[in-house]
Formats: sequence, structure tokens, C-alpha cells
Amino acid sequence: MQKHVLFENINDPKLHNIDRAIELGAYKAWEKVLKSIKREELVQMVKDSGLRGRGGAGFPTGLKWSFVPVASPKPKYLCCNADESEPGTCKDRVLMECDPHSVIEGVMIAAFAIDCHTSFFYVRGEYDLSMRRIEKAIDEAYKKGYLGKNILGTGYDLEMILHRGGGAYICGEETALLSSLEGEKGLSRIKPPFPAVSGLYACPTVVNNVETLANLPRIVINGGQWYASMGTEKSKGTRIFSVSGHVKKPGNYELELGTPLRTLIYDYAGGILDDKKLKCVIPGGSSVPVLMPDQLDTPLDFESVQAAGSMLGSGAVIVMNEDTCMVWVAEILAHFYMHESCGKCTPCRQGTGWLYEIIHRIEHGQGRAQDLDTLLDLAKNIEGNTICALGDAAATPVISTIKQFRNEYEYHIEHKKCLVKSDFRLR
Amino acid sequence: MGDFNITVNGKTVPAVKGQTVLQAALAAGIDIPVFCWHPQLVPVGACRICLVEIEKFPKLQVACATPAADGMVVMTESPKVVKARQGVLEFILAHHPLDCPTCDKGGECDLQDVTFKYGLDYSRLQEPKHRNIVDENSTFDDLQIGPEIIRNQNRCIHCYRCTRIVDEACFEDDLGAYQRGYHTEILPPPHREIRNLYSGNVVEYCPVGALTNDDWRYKVRVWLTKQAKSVCTHCPDGCNLTHWTFHNKIFRATSRPNENIDRGFICDIGRYGYQQVASSDRLKQPMIKKNGELIEATWEEALNLIKTQVSELKSKLSGNAFFGLIGETSTNEEIYSFQRFLRRVIGTSHIDSRINRKRRLTFGEEVTSRAIAPDHVSYQDIDKADTFVVYASDLHSENPITALRIKRGVRYRDAKIIIINSRSTHLGVRTGATNLLHKPGTGLAVLTGIVDAAVSSTTFDKSAVGLSDQQISEFKQAHTELLLPKAAAMSGVGESDLRAVADSLVRSSNVVIFCGADFSRYPYRDEELLALDNLRRICKSAKLAVLPESSNSVGAELLGAYPNQYPGGKGSDAKSKFEDLWRGPLPDFSGKDMIGILEAINEDEIECGFIFNADPVRVFPDGNYADAVLEKLKLLVVVDSFMTETARLADVILPLSTFAETEGTRTNWEGRIQYTQSAIKPMFDSKPGCEILELLADRLGVSFGQGRPSEVYGELNKSLGDVLPVRYEMFKSEGAIYDRPKHQPKPGFNRVAYNAIPSDREYPNFLTVGNADHHRGPNTERNPSLLKFTGDPFVGLSEIDAKELMISDGDLVKVESRTGKVVGNARVIAELPGKVVFLPENFRELRPNLLMGLKEKFDHVKVTKM
Amino acid sequence: MILSNDTKSKIGEYAKKYPKVKSAILPALHYAYEEQGYLDDSMYEEIAQVLGVKFIEVAEAASFYTMFPKQKRGKYYIQVCRNISCALLGSHHLTQYLLQKLGTKLGETTKDHLFTVVEVECLGSCCSAPMMQVNDKYYENLTLAKVDQLIDEWRAAK
Repeated sequence: MQKHVLFENINDPKLHNIDRAIELGAYKAWEKVLKSIKREELVQMVKDSGLRGRGGAGFPTGLKWSFVPVASPKPKYLCCNADESEPGTCKDRVLMECDPHSVIEGVMIAAFAIDCHTSFFYVRGEYDLSMRRIEKAIDEAYKKGYLGKNILGTGYDLEMILHRGGGAYICGEETALLSSLEGEKGLSRIKPPFPAVSGLYACPTVVNNVETLANLPRIVINGGQWYASMGTEKSKGTRIFSVSGHVKKPGNYELELGTPLRTLIYDYAGGILDDKKLKCVIPGGSSVPVLMPDQLDTPLDFESVQAAGSMLGSGAVIVMNEDTCMVWVAEILAHFYMHESCGKCTPCRQGTGWLYEIIHRIEHGQGRAQDLDTLLDLAKNIEGNTICALGDAAATPVISTIKQFRNEYEYHIEHKKCLVKSDFRLR
Repeated sequence: MGDFNITVNGKTVPAVKGQTVLQAALAAGIDIPVFCWHPQLVPVGACRICLVEIEKFPKLQVACATPAADGMVVMTESPKVVKARQGVLEFILAHHPLDCPTCDKGGECDLQDVTFKYGLDYSRLQEPKHRNIVDENSTFDDLQIGPEIIRNQNRCIHCYRCTRIVDEACFEDDLGAYQRGYHTEILPPPHREIRNLYSGNVVEYCPVGALTNDDWRYKVRVWLTKQAKSVCTHCPDGCNLTHWTFHNKIFRATSRPNENIDRGFICDIGRYGYQQVASSDRLKQPMIKKNGELIEATWEEALNLIKTQVSELKSKLSGNAFFGLIGETSTNEEIYSFQRFLRRVIGTSHIDSRINRKRRLTFGEEVTSRAIAPDHVSYQDIDKADTFVVYASDLHSENPITALRIKRGVRYRDAKIIIINSRSTHLGVRTGATNLLHKPGTGLAVLTGIVDAAVSSTTFDKSAVGLSDQQISEFKQAHTELLLPKAAAMSGVGESDLRAVADSLVRSSNVVIFCGADFSRYPYRDEELLALDNLRRICKSAKLAVLPESSNSVGAELLGAYPNQYPGGKGSDAKSKFEDLWRGPLPDFSGKDMIGILEAINEDEIECGFIFNADPVRVFPDGNYADAVLEKLKLLVVVDSFMTETARLADVILPLSTFAETEGTRTNWEGRIQYTQSAIKPMFDSKPGCEILELLADRLGVSFGQGRPSEVYGELNKSLGDVLPVRYEMFKSEGAIYDRPKHQPKPGFNRVAYNAIPSDREYPNFLTVGNADHHRGPNTERNPSLLKFTGDPFVGLSEIDAKELMISDGDLVKVESRTGKVVGNARVIAELPGKVVFLPENFRELRPNLLMGLKEKFDHVKVTKM
Repeated sequence: MILSNDTKSKIGEYAKKYPKVKSAILPALHYAYEEQGYLDDSMYEEIAQVLGVKFIEVAEAASFYTMFPKQKRGKYYIQVCRNISCALLGSHHLTQYLLQKLGTKLGETTKDHLFTVVEVECLGSCCSAPMMQVNDKYYENLTLAKVDQLIDEWRAAK
């Protein structure tokens, strides 16, 4: 079911201006937090809401905060992860462009929850408009006294620093994001230590996703129970799904968690483009396994999608029709991971390139019979053995497409051409 | 015993809190392969070869970065682990060139070794190997990235040890990793080279052959070599080295990690400084001067000639007509044998090792300085200090590894450095230190100004440091000319800077003060030492260390290389003891020091001398004078490894084996006595020092039967058991620190006398002497690799002076003083203050001592463009 | 001196916000890129000076981040998304069409210095595919007609 929590006012063209945003209720939650909620109560409220991270991993937000040693004499940092780069995903961009005040209000609330007085907003480098909207929003918030020293006379200080990325998918990974924020190359770091204990500048740090944070003002106003009343037993609330690819009405749809995939694709996104046959769907960004047409009734919540053999990930639903060559898809994705591997650890640095080269060779008619076994084994050798999740992300599409479409790979190898030729043209 | 136990492969292994699984396993002798891990670097978990299985962890974990926890159950060789390691290896090897037959690392390559253990015998790679192409026409993609270092990117396995070593262990910034993913490339910064003083370490610790150096490349296969334990002789830091030899030739030196000293990182001077062993000016066999020319001779001829001539002179003159000088890089055993030879066999007390001092040495000067600076300072103290004061030292070039240890404190413990010098130094530039750059010769004013600033501060807690009001007012009365506003004006250091430093020192809880080579030669050395001692009094806790100049200066002091001191620092009352020990009469206790000896030669009181491993003509601060005086001797016997300036004046030359051919012990600045193996047999017809001294003694009729260092040390140990309570064998393992006698400082402040420096209109510039990059002292120019970094001698000029004199880089200039002149190419040095001329003391062609006048307190020079 | 004093002072100002100055390397690169349209070694040197960080730190970081071209490019820097959502709707065709229309090759700049076409990874405009980013600006839901019109406009504007 479509349910507008985050998208309540999203179509208001002036929402990005603070005055309009305040008219529509912005910063009420921040004021409430500052004036009448204790830090522990806030954390409990968010735990009660069941809110889970919307970046991809789905980790419970309240729990993540509670790992921060608040009593530590070191400064604590809150970083908003707005480095949205998972192929297929464009939900955070919409929030930042259209409703930046909700997002930064979320950052403020999260900062309060971990007793942080300096927060960072790490926005993807290419997102120019998002960056400008957030910059303006932060500026306006300072002017209205929602940021800075002694906010609203409560004695609470909070700075918010906008930090622009430079074009690196890996910086969406929280430890790489911290490296990047420190002025380094965006290399991921080994855990432990976990950022909650030793993150930015070796201080306790929480990294939360834009969509996650944007939920916070609503939760503060309406209560944790209200939020928990939406969604399924373990997947609470709503999610923005970015539907792209071969659908009639691609776009971002906010639905209650647990809505069936079929409803999203056929009711909201208008069904398959040109009424072709559906081939498969990637339900959670390019790093997750594909779902087949017979899995369309899978409810879109963390547990059900996992049970179906995939992951809800970033909520990016990529729909492919019958004309799509899956080897070609795998090649595009493998190229992406090769390009984005930071190069720090061996399996990812060497493995992503190797996967790409084999798939590229198969796609271009140079495949060999043993390639599929090699691909699967290489992918297995990457999976789980890398510093961060990028290695797993690169291995998954390979394993998944071979599992579901082995015949297409074999056809390529045998006939040196595609079983179905993807020749998508501009209209 | 550990804090708790973990289980590794079924075996119970103790672990200490904070230890990683890898450290605990290694300590228990369980081998886990590593590429990126290094004990001195922060673990990054990049290579993934150390993956291990740990119960309750869903994924394999890197042993290098996973903290050991009580009860952890680890498997390092389970099927899952082996499969993962094979996977990692396959990834690494996929694009590795496998050019092992022509790779220098072959035989000592971590990648080879790990592949040998876990590798598969095939690769599934069907694609062409990636190649980073530097030269289309060469199979090797060699790129010279520094004077000595060659990079082959194709062999690189991206462990990032090199870049981390440069950054985390050497605190330099001339090597980095660029781009990302498998394009990641190791390079110096754009348009620059890797040429820091520690650059060779990246070659040593590269686990594969991606970084190699010209020094060792394509010369010998490693498995053919033998290794010898050595200790570096280029400075008193005492880094431990391994010499790699084949067919009685040394092919390289690498570090031999010693936790107490170098921790596995050595400087390039130590690394390439073995090359001088094969220098073309090595003395190959004895030589005798005939008709003004040195002619090659046999040992027999040379020894007989010495016997005849010494006997003849001795029959006419007393022992007081003889003298001996010994260089401070000699071993303890050589030094002891040498002074024993002179005192007992020749019968003279005119012995000295401090041959480059301009000041008339006071009695037992070094001992005095240790009385004033009684602290026993060691590397461990550096690790505890929160503030360092470096006075009159270019520590980076004089004591590179001590400097590293200090920088470590700055990086990892936020320690502060205060540098007081009349020229800007590398250490100051690299560490963000507080630099008090003062006018030449005004260090006393700076030191006393700081003390005044401290005691005058309203917040100064005098009782905390045990000072009374009376002592403070006495200090002020005694130093009216050196108190604050005057001190600042005189030295050119801002008054607020002096106050800030004072404040910083007073707040510090643990200060270590170092003074270095420049200091030892300063004309106001004694006063400065007293002033440094005053500085110590304002600190809560401060130790003062006088860094000696050479690799065994401390040994020279200890073992009687001074005129008024018997071995063990013993005084005249020990005379009979040594007469008993050496079974014969000894001359009067007191003797002449270096300056006294030269004066006596000049006045024909001294006619014969022995100079052992020393080159006074090259380094005595009036080179022309030393040259002329030594020329007058009736008999000069020079024992040396090289044809030095002094050896040219000799009547008899005996060829001395170098440090690499001589076993023995040396004592580093801490007082740590360390043993060096001889790496190769004596080259040519040379002999080790103890053997030569025994031969000489024997020929002159007093045999000690101690031609071997172990025999000498045996006596030494017996006679000086109170000072050297350590058996010879013990040094062979890790060295031991000898206990210096402790002195109690007197309460209150010392009184410091000071005379302002006269200005000289005719010769307006001050001469400062130091080291060129990658050089230290007069011997390093015999090492070709070091010459690649700085090969040409130069005259360093400040920007201001260069501009005024219209001199630019490379111009030929003449530097003149009242006593001499030299000619060289100018180099404009941005960091040099005006009116200061810098000459490196590393090059024969441009000897700064030719400009020095013994009578001048300071060396004033003038520079003209030619 | 390549960077203007204005840019340098912006860099210096922005750096003050951070607890540690090294963090300002990436913002500094953005300011330099904004002004120059590309980045190179001499700018790293100047940035290092302004920030008081090491040259190598700036050079390493700059080499890692791919959104900054490292050499001069055309006035219109056309970055076509090549990733999956756009590819499903013809982005490969779009690239080919642009190259053919502009008579250039991937990564090269047209002789009139107007256009450089490159392919980039997902730009987060998946629901409005196919798309391209030209300099800072996103152009979405592209059709042949729309591309023709844009190119005409840019050529006319010079």
C-alpha cells in the first residue's frame, strides 16, 4: 500500500524553502527533542519504532546508536550518508532535492541521540542540486537558530558541515566514507574497531542513511508505536522504492513495508514497458540477487525478500523485460564493481576485474566451457573474504545470474552470441 | 604468561590484552602467512592472506587485525582457511609476472614462500596479464623512482607496506599509492623522487620484487650468500645490521631488527655505508716512505722499520716525545689495546681521540659533561618523554634513528619538539617543531632567556621543582647580560617565543634534552652545558643527553683514549693497578690532548706518533696547521684502511681491516655495548686492529698475547669488572648497557659566563659545518650509492646573501678566511639564515677545516663570486 | 599560480569548519575543479600550501576520485550514465549517437573544444533514465529529439 510518510509533502514545489517547510511542520520534532525529550527516551523511542537502516544493510537504527559510548570524553560524530550510488537507487536524491529540511532535521535528532555536537553531511559529489539544496537548508537552519550554539535557548550546540564526495561508490560504505571525510582516499577500513567506538578522527561515530534520518522527525512527532504500526512484524514503517528499467511509470514510490513486489511493479509502476514479458527483477539495488517472475508475490520486507533468496538492500527495483540479455547485464554490473573497487584488499581488487574480464569475453563470443565454473569459484573466493561488502556485492550478481540464467551463458559460450540480443535504443 | 588463553589449532596459547590473534600465534611459534602486516605498522588487513577461522565468527577473519579474546578458538589451517588462502594467492598471482628467475627477490620472496606452501600449480586466468608499461622495448617495466630505487609495478601485490613505512615509520612523504582498484600505482609525488634518508627500508620490506635497489640488483642470488651480524659504524645510534656476503665480498646490508634500538628501520647511510669497504683508496698492503714517496712493502719490512726507528728515538728521548691518536669508530678492543700499547709499550700518556675540537680541552672533559648531565638516557626514555629539546644538532643527519624515535613520539603521542639552532634542520621542518632559530653563537642567550622567562612568570611553581627565591634571584644577578629582553635582542629570537617555550617546558611532565655534534665543537661548550643544566632545573622532570659524535665515542671515553684518564674512567690513583695488570711501568698519568700534542710537535718536543683509524689533517679545525705540524714528525706511523690526507704524511702505513672485516664491540650513545661479527676475511694484506697492535707491541718487546678481540675483552672485563660487568659472549646476542657512574647535581642554578661574539667586517659571514643529504662525517663519500643522493660538494649560501652577492645555484665561488680558502659551487639554501655559510664536511674536495683558524673562536669567512 | 586568490580564500575559509584541516582536501578539490574545470598537479601543490597539508596527500586523494577530469576537457563535459537502469533504456545507443553526431571518440575533446563525451557509472537518476550529466547539470528522460535539441543549443551558445 502506498503510504506517504516521507513523501507527505513531496510534491510541494516550495518545500525546500525553510519557511514553507516550517509551515508544513518542519523542526517541530527538533524543538520537541531539545525541549522535552531525554536522550535515552529518544533512543528508546526509535528502538520502539523498529526503524532499520535504509542504506542497504537494514540494521536497527536505535541499536546502532546505543553502541556509542556516550560517556566517552572524546567528541562524538554523526555523519549523514548521502553518498547514494547503488545502481538503480535514486530515493535519497529526491528527499534531498525536495525535502532537505526533513533530512537535516533528522541529522539533528540523530546527533542529539548520541550527544554529538559536530555533524557531517556527506553528499555524493555528482549530486549537484542535492548539494545546493542541502547547503541552503543548512544555511537557513543556522539563520533560524536550529543549528549553531545554544540552539533555541536550550544550551545544546550543534554544527553541521556539508562535505561533498568526489565520485566513488565505495564512499557509501561507512568506513570508506569516514576515510573520505578525513581527507584520505576513500578506502574502507577493517572492523573492529567499529565506527561507533572509533570512527571519524578515531572518535565514536554513527553513520546513518538519508532516508533513515528523514523518518526521525515523523517518529518523534507521532511516536515510536505509530511508526511500528506500519509494515510487517519485523520490517516496520514505509520505504521508498526506486523503480527503474522496463516499466511504464518508473519512479520513486513510498510503500508500506510488506507490499507485494507485484503491486509495486504493476499497480504503481504501470506494468512492463510496451507490455512485454517480464524477465526478472533486481529488488534491492544492483548488489542483490535477481527475483524471477514466479516470485512477484514476494512481500517487500527484509525477511520475505531474504526468504525469496534476495535482499531488500537499498530498495532499488530494477525491472528487466524479455529482451534483456543477462550476460550483458552481468557485464555491466561487473564493470561497475571493477571500476569502484577501492583496491585495498586483494580479493576485491583482483577479483572484480577478473570477473569482468571473463564475462566480457563470454559476452563477446570468446567464452570457454570452463568459464562458468571459474566465475562461480572466483566469486566464492571473493565473497566473505574482503574488508567491506563491495566484494560480496560484486560476487552476487555473477552468482545469481548464472544460477538463474545458466542457459544464456551456455548459449553464449556455444554459439558465440546472445540468446536474446539486448539492443535497447533511444526513443 | 599472558592475560588469558586462546586456542590455536588445538593448542593453548597465552595472549596479552591488546594482542592480535596473529601476534599471539607468532609468539607461540605458530606461523600464519602475512604480506601487508609488519610489526611496526598499523594493521590494515589488506592482503587477506592471514585469514583464519575463528569459532562463532560467520566469516573468516584476518589474524593480523582481530584482537585476541579470552577463550577464542582459532584454526589457521582448516580446509576453509586453506581454500581462502589459495583463492587470495590465485588473485595475487593472476597478474603477477612470475619473472622469478630474473627477479632480485627470488629466494627471499614472501610471495614465493607462501605460494610454495599454499599455491596451486596452475592459473585459471585466460586473459592477457595486465601490464603497467614503462618501456615498450623492455620485458621489465622498470621505473627509477629515486636515486637508488627502482619500481616494477607489475610485481606489486598492493600490500602498501612501502607507503605505510614511509608514512608511519619514517614520517616522510615521498611515496604514495595513486588511482584506485587494480590500477593502483605506487609512485613518488608527481615530478618528485623517493629520496628520503630512510628510503631503502621500502626495498627491504617489499614482500616481492616490486621495489628493488641498484645496490643489490642483479649482483648475486640471495641463497648463495652468508650473513654476518653487524652494527652500523656511521653514527652512535648503534643500529643492528646484517651484512650479506659471497666470496668474501659484501653485497648488501639490511636491518637486523633490535627492539631496543632501530626496530627494524635503518637509514640509507647505514644501508649503503658498507660500500666503502671496497673503496678504491683502500690501503692494500703496508707502505714505507722512501725519498718522499710511499712504496709498498711487506709487513716484516714495515714492522722492522718501526722497531728500528722507535728504538732509536726511544734511546734518545723519553716516552714524552711520542703520541697516539685514535679514531672513535674503532672497536672497544682496539681502543683499549691502542692506549695500552702507548702507555705501556711506548711509554707516553699523550693520547687522544677527540681530534676535531677547536677548544683547548679541559681535564676529563667528557667525564665532566657527564657529571653535569648525569642522566642515563636511553631510547626507552624517548618513548616516555612528552617534550624534546634538541640543542645545536641536526639530529636527522647526525642521529637518524634517534630522530625517528622522536618523530614517533610526535606522531603517536603528540609529544612536542623544541629545536634551538642557528640553522633550520630537517627534523624541525618535518615535525612542526617549535624552532628557535638564533644568530650564530648566541645559544647561551637563548637558553638563559628561556630560564629567565620561566622563573619570571607569575605562574611559575618554584617549589614544584625545588627552587628557592634566593636561588632565582642569584640566577638573575649572575646573568644580567643574558636576561630576557637582552637575550631576545642578542639572539634574534622573539621574546614571546622564548616565553612560550619556557611555558611549554614548565608544563611538560617528562623532558629529554639532546645536544649534538655542533654542540661538542662550539666554543662555549662548557658554558652551554651549564646553561642546558639550568634549563633542566625549571622542568618537573628532565634528562639531558650529550650525544657523542661517532659510533664508538662512548667507548673511547670509557676505555682510556683520553690523555688524563685510564680505562674505566680511572684517575692517577689507578696507576699501580694498571702497572700490575700490564706487568710494567707506566709513564706519568697526565698527558697532552690533541691541541697540546700539535703544539708540542711544533715546538719539537714530540717527534714520533701513531695515528690509528683517524684523519686529523682532514678534520682538525685548522687543516693547514695540522698538515704542516704533522709533516715535521721524524716518524709517523699511520694505521688506517684508506689513503687519507693524514696517511699521505706517514713514514710507515699499516693497512687496517675495516669494520666489516673486524669483530669487536662498540658502545652506542646510550652506553649499549654491542658485538659485531666480521662479515668477511681481511681484504688484501690488511689486518684487524687488535692483531696489528699486538704485532707492534710484540715487535717492540712487550707481548700481551692478545691479538684477538675476545682475548682483549677478556682482560678488559677482568680489569674493569666494576664498569663492564658483562661477559663478551653476552654482547653477541642483544648487547648490554653499561652503568655509568651517577652524579648528584648540585642545587640551584649554574653560573654561566658569556662574551659577545666579535663581528668581523672583513669576513662578514659565519661558517657552519654539517652534513650534506645522505652523508655523515668524512667517510660516506666512499659509498657510491650515497653519492647518488648528494654527489657534488657545495657551498651553501642563504637566499639573502646569494642575492646580495649576485650568486645563483651552481656559480663557482671562493670562500676565504684569515687562514685559508676553498673554491666550490654555490648552492642557495632557502632555510639558511643570512650571514651563515654552510659547508658539508663530507667531501675531500671541499674541506671546511681549511678555513678554520685555531685561534679564532668563531670561523668568519667571506664569499666572492669567481 | 593557477588558482585564483578568491578560490584559495574560499578553500581556506571552508577548511576552518573541520576539526582537522586535512578533511578539507576534498572540498578544496571541488573549489579548484569549479574554477578550472579539471585538476592537475600544480593545483594540488597550491591546495597543499593553502591548507598546510602535504602535497602527496592532495595528489593521492585527487587521483582516487573519478568525478574530476585530470586534464582539460571541452566546454560541455558530457557524462553518459552507462549503468544498468540507463542501459536498459538505451544509454549505449545514446553514447554512440553522441559520438557520431559530434564526430569524436570516447574521452576525446572535439576540435572546437566544445564537447568531451565520457561514460560514467550510475548517477542516481535511474527512474528518469536514460540520462546524462553535462558539467553539473542532469539531463534526464533523454530522447533522440531532446539530444539533438540540446546539442544545437550548445553549439549555438558556443
